[in-house]
Amino acid sequence: MNGPDKIDVVTAEIVRNGMTSAALEMARTLRLTAYNPLLFESQDFGLGIVSPGGEMWGEAPGVAAFIGCLGDTIRTGVAELGLEAFHEDDVLIVNDPYLSGTHISDTTIYRPIFHAGRLVAFSSATAHWADIGGKEPGGWCRDSTSIYQEGVCFNHLKLVSRGERNTELFKLIAANVRFPGLVMGDLEAKLASTRQGVLRVQALCAKYGADVAAASMAFVIERTDAAVRRKIAEIPDGSYGAAMSLDSDGVVENDPVRLAVTLRVDGDRMTASFDGTSPSRTGPINLNPIVAASSVRIALKALTMPTDPTNAGHFRALDFDITPGTALTAQRPAPCDSYGYSVVTVVELCVQALAKAVPDWCPAGGSQLTGIVLSRSDPRDGTPFIFSDPVDCGTGGRPHGDGAVLNVMGNGDVPTTPVEIVETRYPVRIERFEYAPHVAGAGRYRGGAGVRRDYRILEEGLNLNVMVENTVDVMGRGAHGGRPGKPARVVVHPGTDREIVVTRHNSAHRLRAGDAFTATTSGGGGLGDPFERDPTDVLRDVRGELLSAEDAETTYGVRVRRDAEAWFVDEESTTALRAADAR
Amino acid sequence: MPASGKTPRTRVAVDVGGTFIDFVMLDEASGELVIEKQPSTSAKLVEEFLAGLGRLPVDIGEIERIFHGTTVAINTILQERGVAVGLITTDGFRDVLALARGGRPEIYNLFYEPVRSLVPREMRAEVRERVAGDGTVVEPLDEAGVLAAADLLVRRGAEAIAIGFLHSYANQAHEQRAAELVRAAHPGIAVTASSELITEWREYERTSTTVLNTYVQPGFQRYIGDLVRNLRAHGYDRPVALMQSNGGVIAEHAAARKPIRTLESGPAGGVIGAAALAARLGHPDVICADVGGTSYDVALIEGGQILERSETAVAGRPILGPTIDIVSIGAGGGSIAWIDHRGVLQVGPRSAGAHPGPAAFGLGGAEPTVTDAHLLLGRLDPQRFLGSRMQLSLDAAAAAMRSRIAEPLGLSVEEAAAGTLAIAETSMTYAIRAVTVERGLDPRDFVMYSYGGGGGLFAAAVAGHCEVGKVVIPRAPANFSAWGILSSDYREDAVLTRVMALEESRRAEIVTILTSLAGQAADQVAQYGFTGDSLITTYQLDVRYAGQDATIPVPVEPGWLDSGAGLLSRVREGFVHAHRQLYGHGAMDADLELVHCRARLVGPVTAPDWPLWTNEVTAQPREIRKVYFGQGPVDTAIYERDALAVGQSVPGPAVVEEWTTTTVVPPGWLLEVDELGNMIITRSEEQP
Repeated sequence: MNGPDKIDVVTAEIVRNGMTSAALEMARTLRLTAYNPLLFESQDFGLGIVSPGGEMWGEAPGVAAFIGCLGDTIRTGVAELGLEAFHEDDVLIVNDPYLSGTHISDTTIYRPIFHAGRLVAFSSATAHWADIGGKEPGGWCRDSTSIYQEGVCFNHLKLVSRGERNTELFKLIAANVRFPGLVMGDLEAKLASTRQGVLRVQALCAKYGADVAAASMAFVIERTDAAVRRKIAEIPDGSYGAAMSLDSDGVVENDPVRLAVTLRVDGDRMTASFDGTSPSRTGPINLNPIVAASSVRIALKALTMPTDPTNAGHFRALDFDITPGTALTAQRPAPCDSYGYSVVTVVELCVQALAKAVPDWCPAGGSQLTGIVLSRSDPRDGTPFIFSDPVDCGTGGRPHGDGAVLNVMGNGDVPTTPVEIVETRYPVRIERFEYAPHVAGAGRYRGGAGVRRDYRILEEGLNLNVMVENTVDVMGRGAHGGRPGKPARVVVHPGTDREIVVTRHNSAHRLRAGDAFTATTSGGGGLGDPFERDPTDVLRDVRGELLSAEDAETTYGVRVRRDAEAWFVDEESTTALRAADAR
Repeated sequence: MPASGKTPRTRVAVDVGGTFIDFVMLDEASGELVIEKQPSTSAKLVEEFLAGLGRLPVDIGEIERIFHGTTVAINTILQERGVAVGLITTDGFRDVLALARGGRPEIYNLFYEPVRSLVPREMRAEVRERVAGDGTVVEPLDEAGVLAAADLLVRRGAEAIAIGFLHSYANQAHEQRAAELVRAAHPGIAVTASSELITEWREYERTSTTVLNTYVQPGFQRYIGDLVRNLRAHGYDRPVALMQSNGGVIAEHAAARKPIRTLESGPAGGVIGAAALAARLGHPDVICADVGGTSYDVALIEGGQILERSETAVAGRPILGPTIDIVSIGAGGGSIAWIDHRGVLQVGPRSAGAHPGPAAFGLGGAEPTVTDAHLLLGRLDPQRFLGSRMQLSLDAAAAAMRSRIAEPLGLSVEEAAAGTLAIAETSMTYAIRAVTVERGLDPRDFVMYSYGGGGGLFAAAVAGHCEVGKVVIPRAPANFSAWGILSSDYREDAVLTRVMALEESRRAEIVTILTSLAGQAADQVAQYGFTGDSLITTYQLDVRYAGQDATIPVPVEPGWLDSGAGLLSRVREGFVHAHRQLYGHGAMDADLELVHCRARLVGPVTAPDWPLWTNEVTAQPREIRKVYFGQGPVDTAIYERDALAVGQSVPGPAVVEEWTTTTVVPPGWLLEVDELGNMIITRSEEQP
C-alpha cells in the first residue's frame, strides 16, 4: 500500500481500536482493584484517553455523564496550568465541579502521556469517591446551599510530581474523608488504572509514531463527525423543545424546578439552548455548563450513533447557545451535589424534544434516578460503612417493542449489586426483589416495569437517604397515545403506625435494628394506543401475572379467559370491545 | 495383547464442530495417526458419529477409549431448543433470573434490551424459606409449598425443574431437601438444584447456570444414551469420556447430569492438546490460537498451567464454574470485509460461514471475506483448496473485493485485500493482548501455537504484531482440537464460597474446607475407576484485600495444609506477588479476605506418545508462485507439508500446503520441521 491517505484507512482503524482498548484496560484495572462497590459492582466511573486539546480519543463503558466531561476537564486543566506545567510521571487531581463537571464526589485523576519527551495525550479516570468530606456522608448532599458545604475541593493539583508522591496531599485527603480505607484504596486503584492508559498509548506511539497516532485520531474524528452530520441532516430542520419540572431543589419546598431544552436543527448541525429553565437554585440540583453540555451529548450520541466507541467526533456537530445563571448553567458557588436528577432530565428532554421530529428514533418517556443510600459513619454506633443501591427502573415503550427494566439512561452501565453480596457486606436483609408491573405505562408497546426491593435493617445506628424525584411531573410520559408510567415510591416503616411515604428527594431517616423500608421504582411510558396492542402480548402479560384480566379488558380492550391452567384470548369479545372503543 | 492381534492400544477422539465432525485415531503401538472428517448434521449426529468411526482402520469394539467433544449443549442454548423449564426460588425472588443485573453495557443505546429469560414468569414459582449469608436458617423450608410449586409448574408444562434458593452456597440443606421432594413426587422430571452444580455466590449468575443446565439436560441425556447404546451394539463397552470446559474429561453418566460443563468442549480440546505438546517440546509459556471459519479463540498457558476463569457467558447468559479462559472474537476465514458508516474498512464479526461462504467458493457469496483476501494475495492455491476437494474462483473473489471495498475506498484489489488482512490481524492481536497484557504478562515471553483451519495462514503475521518470536504449527492443525482431546485427564472441581478474614485463627477451618472439597471431588473421580495414589489433588484459595471485591486465585500446595507449614503466610506471599504483577501495587501487611475455596482432583489418563516424523528426504518446492507480502508480489516457494523432511529449513517467503490448511512463511521468517513433524517458524531478522 502506498500514499499516506491510503494507509490512513487501515492505520486509523488500528489506532482507534488501540485507544478504545487502552480505555478498556483502564476500566478493567479500576474494577478489579477498587474497594468501593460503587466502582466494582456499579461501575460508577468514566475514563478514557483525551488529546492535549481536550478531544476524546477513546472511552470505556461507565457513566456516560462522566465521559462527556473528560474532555472539558483536561481543557480546564491545560487552560489553568499551561501545557508546559505537565511532566512525565505527573498525576493530577481535580474535583471542582466548575472545572470538571458533575459533582464534588466525582474525582478525576489524570496523567499526561509522554512519548519521546513530547506530551501526546492524557489518560484520565473520573470515579465517585465513597466520601469527600462534605456535610453528608458519602456525598450527594440533599440540601447544601453552596459548594463549600459539599466537600474538599481539588482544582488541578499535583498528587504526584515527576514520580514523587505529594504525601502531604495524601494525608490531607485521608484526614478529610469519612471512610479513608475505601477512599485511599480507590485512589490507588485509579493510579493503577491511569498508569495502564499511559503504558498502552505509549506502546501505540512506539509502534506508529506519535504524529501518526494523532493524525489517525484526527482522521477518525473527522469521519465520525461527517457520519453524525449525515444523521442530523435526516432530521427535518426546525426548533424542538421539551420541558419538565423537578419536585424541588432540595431546600426550597413547593417551588418546582423547571428544566427546559430546545434543540434547533439547521441542516447538518444542531444547537442546544436551555431557555425557559428556572434561574439557578438555592438547593443542589444545579448543573454547571460543562455537565449540562455533557448531558446533551449523551442524547445526541444515543440518537445518532449509539453503539460506536465514543470519540470527540460524535459531538462536534453540536453547538450551544446558553445564558449563564440558570439551573442548567449555574455559576460558582451555586450548590450542585445532587446534580444527577437534572442530568437524567436533560437527556430525557432532548429525546422527548426530538421525538416530535423523528418519532421512529425515540422511545416514550423513561425514568428518573431512584436509589437508596444506607450508611453508618459514626464508629461509636458500629463499623462504619456506606452502601448505595441504585435501583433499576422502567424504560419507555419503543417504536417496535416494549420498554425494558434497566438502569436509567445517562447513568451508563450500572449493574445492580447481587442480594447475596449486599447481605454479606452490610447489616441489611433484602426480603423481596421483583418486578413492580403496575407502574408501567400502557401502550401498544408498554413501558418497562419498575422493580420493588424490600429492605430490613439488622443493626443499630443506620442512616437512610432516599433518592426519589419527579413524583409530580412524571418522567415516564406516554407517546403517540400511550399512557404515562407511575413515579417511584419509597415507604419507610411500611404497614406500621410510623409509616412514611417519601415524596421528597431530600428525605433522611434514622433507622434501628428491625426497621424496614421498601423502594418501588418508576415505570416507563407507553408508546401508541393500548387498544392497538397485539392481544398475544396482552395475554403474555396476564399469563406472567404482570397484568390482571380486568386491566387487560379495561386498559387494552382484550378479554382473556382461563381454562384450568391455560389462559387464552377471547377473540370475539376482544374484537367487540375494541370496535366499541373505536366508535 | 488380545488374540486378534489388532490395534490393542487405539484411542479415538471425536470432536463435533459446526460443519464437520473431526476424528483422530492414534495407534499407540505403531505411532500411526489417522485423521478423518464427516459432515455434522445436527438431526442425525449419532449416525454421522458412527459412520465416521466406521471409516477408521479399526474395529469399533477394539478401540481402547473414545474421547468426545460435543456441541450438543452449546447448540441447544444458542438455538434455544431446550425443554420447558420450571424454576423454584425463594419467596420474593422469582424475578431474579429475568432482572439479571440491570446494567446497560451499550451505555448510549436507548433501545438496549437485556437478554430474555429462558423461563417465562408463570413458570417461576416461589417457596417460603430463607437462609442468611452465613448459612443460618432464617425461615425453615415450607415443604408443602415445594410440592405445591412443583405441581403447579408441571401442570403448566414444565419438562424439567431448576431450584435456586438464596445463599444456597452457604447452606445447601433447603435446596437439597426441595430437590428430594420434587424428585420423589415427579420421577419423570429432570431436577437440578443450584448447589448440586455450584456452591458460589451471586444469585443471578448461579440461577442462570442452573437453569441452563436444566434446559439442556434432557436432550443431552437422550443424545448420550443413544450414542452409548449404539456404541455398545458395535461392541464398544468402555466409558465414553466427554470433554469439559475446564479441560478435563468426565464419564458419560456424569456429563448427562451436568451437561453445562461440556459447553466449551471443542475449543478446550485444542488448548489441552497445546498444553500436552508444549510439555513435550519444553515450552512453559504458550499462546494458543485457534483460527476457525468464524472465530479466533485465544487461550494461555503460563508456567505449564492453562489459565482459567471462574465464569463465562453464552449468548449473554452467565455460567459459573471453572472454564479454560478462552477469549473469542469474530474473526476467521469466513469473516466479511465491509465499509462502515464512517467510510472505514472493517472485518467481521459477521461471517459468510460455509454457505454461501467466501465469494471464491462460487456458492453465491457476494461479499469479500478473509479467505478471498488470502486467495487474492496468492497465499491460497485456487486449485488445491481442501486437498483439491474444492476449486476456488479467483475472479469471483476479485469481483467481490473490487466492488465492495477497493472501488469505494479508491484502492487496488490487492491493497484492499492486504487492508482486509491487516484489520483481521489487528483484531487477533487485540485478542492476544486481552489474555496477556491485561494480566500483566508480556507476549514477547511466549511461544505461539497456531492451529485450526486458518492457523497457518495468520500465525506469523499475528506473532509479528505481538512481537512473539516463535510459532508452532502442529501436525494436522485443522484437526488439532480432536487431537488434544486424546490427551485429556479426568477432572473434577469442587468450589465453596466462604467469606472470612485470612488469619491464623481460621487456619483449621480453611484446611477442613479444602480437605472436604477434595473428598467430594475424589468421590466423583472414584466413579470412573480412579482411586488413592493415582489421583492428583490441587487446591486454590481466591483471596482479596479486605474491602476489595475482585479476588486473585492463589495456588495452595497440598503440603501447606499440614500444621506448621505456614499456610497463611505462603498464601499471603502468593497473593501480594500476584497483585503487584497485575496492578503494579500491593501492600504486604494489609488485611486479606478469603472468598472461595477450590479443590481439583485429576485422574490422569496415560498420555499418548507423540508419533515421530520419519521423512528423511529433503523436499524441493513444488512450484514458485507470486505472493503479496505488503510490498507487492514476490516469487515464493510452495511446498507440500507431507514432503518436508525432519530438520528441514524453509526460509520465507514460502507457503506450505497440506490437506486441510495452508501455512504462510513471510519474508524474514524461517520454518523448520522438528522430530514430531511440527513446523516451527521463527523470526530470522528484525521485521520491517
